[in-house]
Amino acid sequence: MTNGDASDNGVEDIIIARDVHKWFGSFHALRGVSTTVKRAEKVVILGPSGSGKSTFIRTINRLEEHQRGEIIVDGITLSNDVRNIDAIRREVGMVFQQFNLFPHLTVLNNITLAPMKVRHIPRAEAEETAMGLLERVGIPEQAEKYPAELSGGQQQRVAIARALAMQPRIMLFDEPTSALDPEMIKDVLDVMTELAQSGMTMLIVTHEVGFAREVADRVIMFDEGMIAEEAPPNEFFITPQSDRAKLFLSQILH
Amino acid sequence: MATRETTPGTILPPPRMTTGKVGWIRNNLFSSPANGVTTVVVAALTLYLLWLLVDWAFGTADWTVIPTLGGTLVLGQYNSDSVCPSNDCFWRPQASLLIAVTYMGILWAVAATALVRGVVLTTAFAAAAMALIPLPFDEMGMDVRLLLVANIPAVFLGRWLGLHTPVGSTRNLIIIAFLGFITVYCLLSGTILGFVDIPGLHTVPSRFWGGLMLNILLAAGGITASLPIGIMLALGRRSNLPVVKMLCIGFIEFFRGVPLITLLFMSQTLVPLAFPQDFPLDEVQRAGIVITMFSAAYMAENIRGGLQALHRGQTEAARALGLPPWNTTTFITLPQALRNVVPAIVGQYISLYKDTTLVFIIGMLDILHMGSSFIGSNREFLPHSRELFLFIALVFWVFNYGMSYVSRRVERNLGVGER
Repeated sequence: MTNGDASDNGVEDIIIARDVHKWFGSFHALRGVSTTVKRAEKVVILGPSGSGKSTFIRTINRLEEHQRGEIIVDGITLSNDVRNIDAIRREVGMVFQQFNLFPHLTVLNNITLAPMKVRHIPRAEAEETAMGLLERVGIPEQAEKYPAELSGGQQQRVAIARALAMQPRIMLFDEPTSALDPEMIKDVLDVMTELAQSGMTMLIVTHEVGFAREVADRVIMFDEGMIAEEAPPNEFFITPQSDRAKLFLSQILH
Repeated sequence: MATRETTPGTILPPPRMTTGKVGWIRNNLFSSPANGVTTVVVAALTLYLLWLLVDWAFGTADWTVIPTLGGTLVLGQYNSDSVCPSNDCFWRPQASLLIAVTYMGILWAVAATALVRGVVLTTAFAAAAMALIPLPFDEMGMDVRLLLVANIPAVFLGRWLGLHTPVGSTRNLIIIAFLGFITVYCLLSGTILGFVDIPGLHTVPSRFWGGLMLNILLAAGGITASLPIGIMLALGRRSNLPVVKMLCIGFIEFFRGVPLITLLFMSQTLVPLAFPQDFPLDEVQRAGIVITMFSAAYMAENIRGGLQALHRGQTEAARALGLPPWNTTTFITLPQALRNVVPAIVGQYISLYKDTTLVFIIGMLDILHMGSSFIGSNREFLPHSRELFLFIALVFWVFNYGMSYVSRRVERNLGVGER
């Protein structure tokens, strides 16, 4: 299973990472990460800054290139083959800490651009889908505005809608609420919770412990480029096994 | 609980007026004694200089040199006896202008913004208004004037064509621009691209093209071509392909590193040395290409600066959505980069237009050279060269201020620096 179209129900393990290594120059950012994510599983990734958690989820859609090991996404092995990378990026949606909306396009055009250019969906159909997604994230009235005219929470919800417009099978969230004002965080987390309930496979880097306990099937804690502990949220937050996890939790749970 | 004693204060005079004309003057011009003195001194100096200028312009100055040169400032030797024996070639540049104005009409139909409409109509009506120039009819005949007035119907014809025929699309605009340039070239030279003479048209070799027409032709060609070439060079310089990258860097650094005058000399002297037999491009074409390439090299660096200023997250978001690199450039990075460097691009355009006067160094009779050679051969006008050069400066200023104004409007429409 190195190539081609894996059908929806073909693969149970939708993400397989085996001994993934990544260096930035001489800095060893990922030191042998191995894990498996099942279809429809929600995985929350925690860890101190610089522990490699963002780098890891960015290797899954090849925004970062891993240098050793193997990553298989929905049956496709990540390699330098451009067709494989494009195929995976169509299946994997991503939401960034800084939203990264396209400032020169309206909200609607932000959402419709990729479906029209990559999936060749006609404009009318793409706009209909986009309006549906804006309803789903709760801001249909903002469709004709530009990103700069929206609040941070609204921008992040547009970013989620934009990623969903490509009908991905996996959603990656890279600290989606870290750049938001406190009163906006809940709006975004509500959208993410709803998405989780709809059965989407999700990998979420976040510091929101409440959200992790409510939504996650599993918590992975990163430390110094390695997985320090991996457990269901109730075990992880109540009875952490490693000293590193105990220390980390004592720092984030005041 | 102690009660606090209050004493009635002295009643203050009302605050000084800060609104209205008086308030504005007080706030901005006389806010302190030093500012007041500065205002008075600068105002007096300005008025004095203005008075000197007005006194000179309407008193001692003798503007007859300009009507004496008349049409040759605009066309150079194009319509002179030696080139066009019966002086009936004047309609060809005028027809070229009509083609350009018709094209602008099509543009108006396609890009129907208030700004485009303003620019297009201003150009058409300014061209038509030239028909009212108070020159005697034996120097500027009725035929010339009528062809100028025809610019007004031409612009509306273009608009009609753009609205009601298939020519009105962005892609067709590019094709028509290209065909328009070729048509104008054939019309002005009286040949089919310099190879075959067109029967009925007197052949006018491009070394006789001159005056303001030459400046505008060189500038129009350069402005149209240098932006796409500059974009290609900028993208090429950022390419991952080492050969493409090296070629683009080499091109850019060569044209940026050598003065334009040197390049123009090389185009006229080295090229014929290297290709002694019938080099296919004539002098004007070579000069035009050199000016375009020179400008494109600077344009490329402006655009590259715009691309580099973009946040990395923009490309990452596009790539994460599965947009291939080419789409990412076309729809995400390039539009933002171009928008951010509009002022630099227009600055380069203005600079290019002014640089077209440098062709006088290689013997072409552009508007500046027409003026200076006329003064040189008609010594009785030597005391009045000032008037002539001031007039030429004014002509350039009007065009360049127009470009600058349009640039500012474009910036505002695009909201540069706001979103």
